[in-house]
Amino acid sequence: MDVEKSALWIAQGFHKSFPGVQALDDVSLEIFPGEVHALVGENGSGKSTLVKCIAGVYPRDQGDLLHKGIPAVFHNPTEARLHGIATIYQEFSLVPTLSVAENIFLGNYRKKKFTGTIDWPVIREDTRKVLETLSLTLDPDAIVNTLSAAEQQLVEIAKAISIDSSLLIMDEPTAALGLTETKHLMDLIRRLTAKGKAILYISHRLDEVFEIADRVTVLKDGRRVATAPISELKVGDVVRMMIGFDIVQHYPKERNVQERPCLEVEHLSTDHGVHDVSFTVNVGEVFGLGGMLGSGRTEIIRAIYGLDRITSGQIRMDGKEVNFRSPVAAISAGIGLIPENRKTDGSFFNFEGPKNITIARLKALLQGPWLSLSKERKIGATYIKKMNISQGAMERSVQNLSGGNQQKVIIARWLFSQARLLIMDEPTQGIDIGAKHEIYKVINELTANGISVLLISSDFPELLAMSDRVAVVRDGHILQITDGDRMSEYELIIHASGVSPEPEAVS
Amino acid sequence: MVFLKKFLGSTIGGPIIALILVGVFIALITPRFMHPQNLSNVTLQVSLVAIVAIGATLVILTGGIDLSPGATVALVCCTLAHLVRKMGVPLPVGIILMLLMGVGLGFINGFFSSYGKIPSFIVTLATMNIYRGLAFALTGGITIFSVSPQLEPIFYGRFLGIPLPFYYVVILYGSAALFLRYTIPGRSIYAIGGNESAARLSGINVNRTRLLAFVIAGLTAAIAGILETAWLDSGSAAYGSELALGSIAAAVIGGASLVGGYANILSSLVGALTVAIVQNGLNLHAVQLAWQDVTLGLVIILAVGVDMWKRNFGEAIGRLFKTNRGHSGD
Repeated sequence: MDVEKSALWIAQGFHKSFPGVQALDDVSLEIFPGEVHALVGENGSGKSTLVKCIAGVYPRDQGDLLHKGIPAVFHNPTEARLHGIATIYQEFSLVPTLSVAENIFLGNYRKKKFTGTIDWPVIREDTRKVLETLSLTLDPDAIVNTLSAAEQQLVEIAKAISIDSSLLIMDEPTAALGLTETKHLMDLIRRLTAKGKAILYISHRLDEVFEIADRVTVLKDGRRVATAPISELKVGDVVRMMIGFDIVQHYPKERNVQERPCLEVEHLSTDHGVHDVSFTVNVGEVFGLGGMLGSGRTEIIRAIYGLDRITSGQIRMDGKEVNFRSPVAAISAGIGLIPENRKTDGSFFNFEGPKNITIARLKALLQGPWLSLSKERKIGATYIKKMNISQGAMERSVQNLSGGNQQKVIIARWLFSQARLLIMDEPTQGIDIGAKHEIYKVINELTANGISVLLISSDFPELLAMSDRVAVVRDGHILQITDGDRMSEYELIIHASGVSPEPEAVS
Repeated sequence: MVFLKKFLGSTIGGPIIALILVGVFIALITPRFMHPQNLSNVTLQVSLVAIVAIGATLVILTGGIDLSPGATVALVCCTLAHLVRKMGVPLPVGIILMLLMGVGLGFINGFFSSYGKIPSFIVTLATMNIYRGLAFALTGGITIFSVSPQLEPIFYGRFLGIPLPFYYVVILYGSAALFLRYTIPGRSIYAIGGNESAARLSGINVNRTRLLAFVIAGLTAAIAGILETAWLDSGSAAYGSELALGSIAAAVIGGASLVGGYANILSSLVGALTVAIVQNGLNLHAVQLAWQDVTLGLVIILAVGVDMWKRNFGEAIGRLFKTNRGHSGD
């Protein structure tokens, strides 16, 4: 590739912090015309934050953005677009009830000279041209919500390229695409760069990165680890840079597995992206589901918990076949769920600690037909003490507690409900190191008492260390199941990100 | 002092202070307000709004809204008058049938708002028109007078010198408070209003709980309808028109949050008293009925506005401290 000497866009010393997190720490990036610049890193390494700072979504704390050497200042995505930065986000930004043409030119409608009304024939024609560049045969008048997820993603891309831009940012553009569409997209990217446009390409899929990118920048914990031409790197190098040389963290893992199955899943499939999944969780075992975002990990637990309808396959709990049609049934069979998003799915901010703890098993508080509030307070106090939760939880709304304390309140809820299998979806996300360790200890206590844990975590070192066995999930399939301590983070990333395995080089 | 501080900080403190302020203000500008006969009138008037406000509060607690209780009252009044006066149904039978009808009308509201997945605002906006339309269809728009001589004592009767509606209010509010505080369905109502998704994931049957709140709202509206029929010894399709707004105002003045999850049922009683005093004051000043509606509407906007602005302010503060989750998580 013929990289011109002068960089088109330069991000210089970007800093961005969110409360409690330094999301970007002095990150710089140079983007040359005609290059595909890949941005890689683990979940939470700061990739999305970086592009959002470039595209004007977030204000940055520090740092300059230069366009051809001149500082470019914008305060919102619209201004960024006027400067020639188009972005395709992970989340769709289409209006589902409008047509393809209306969406592509939304906010940018060509008007007739005399009447000032929208010139639909021209817009339809332009839409057709844009779709042609994508080798798409979509009807410009089709309503977006009648299209498939892949087609919507392509419309999203069409919308971005309809604006004449010098930099096109693509955040996980292939997440919803099939093989053919991905191939079309790769062709399109090559055509765009041939015209001198620059692409900033974010993907978990290293196979794609190695296919399309010219250079790659690796982020780790909000810092730039390296930027290098892809031709000088091997997959292994990139993965090792993504992992970094962590200070060896101590995970207080205890093995409490009993040779007795608790949950058996056989050939499970759903309409929501779970395909022929089989695994067994033994009593006292921590079973990890490892995979990238959108790999189907969450969909597997949704099916088990009775949230998504199962289309085929079997689930057995304690050897008995079950088919939960709702969480009510799953809970009474002894399953508990610690949801990924505490605020929207876990905590009751209108309740104090005790009421949050007893909610899944109110029957145990009944004296005759009435709830015993004194019993509830006693139970609340016991768990708050046992789990080392802040005393304020007794009297005040759990809204006032730290993330770690809120999480422990939810774990206490399932201890009180006498769950025998706890599904934990990102249990340590957004909580501080000290609280993380307490959660690990709680996991040990749970398993020592014969409770099984189904663990999902994007923190791969944590997942591998705390799980007795780990299943690698990709595209709704389980690729392999290995003992947690027999798999390295390197292997997990390699398998989960879809590149063909190569022997791990000695480093 | 400690008591005062605790009182002011509690959920009922604010509404009581608002009630006292409004009461003193009305008493000062309205000479006849403190007359014993008038005060006795106020207590009778308040009973209807107060009873309907129980249902309104329960529905608001779930995060919904019920616009139909006034129309339910009208339909109950007309049907009861029609059954007893025109068809000769014995009064006790008529009353039991009306209670069942209230449950049924509430069930319709609740069914479409929960299992039907239609916002309760839309459902009850529609049923408000349907129920009142049925009342008009039944009576042909003509008021049915002199329903039954047995009716009057139900409203005007006294026990130990105190008017019966006082006892109804005490018993109904007592039951509602016990229900909300000491029963599983009561707790579930708070839970789904506080966080519907968390409630579902914690094994609460969200649809059934929401349905129950509407059924109770239908029942309290029917009780109010029976009392209104007894009060006026007549049934008209125009009755109860101020009760939907009045009951919502009572709940909101009592501190119920329209986003759900926060309300104290006894505060709604205080709110109902405030609404009744305002209405009485306007009556005594011979303010036209139309302007009374205008006033009540403004009171609702003010009360809800205070709740929302307070919340927005709080959320704006909250956003400053919220961590971004956009860069991680499924």
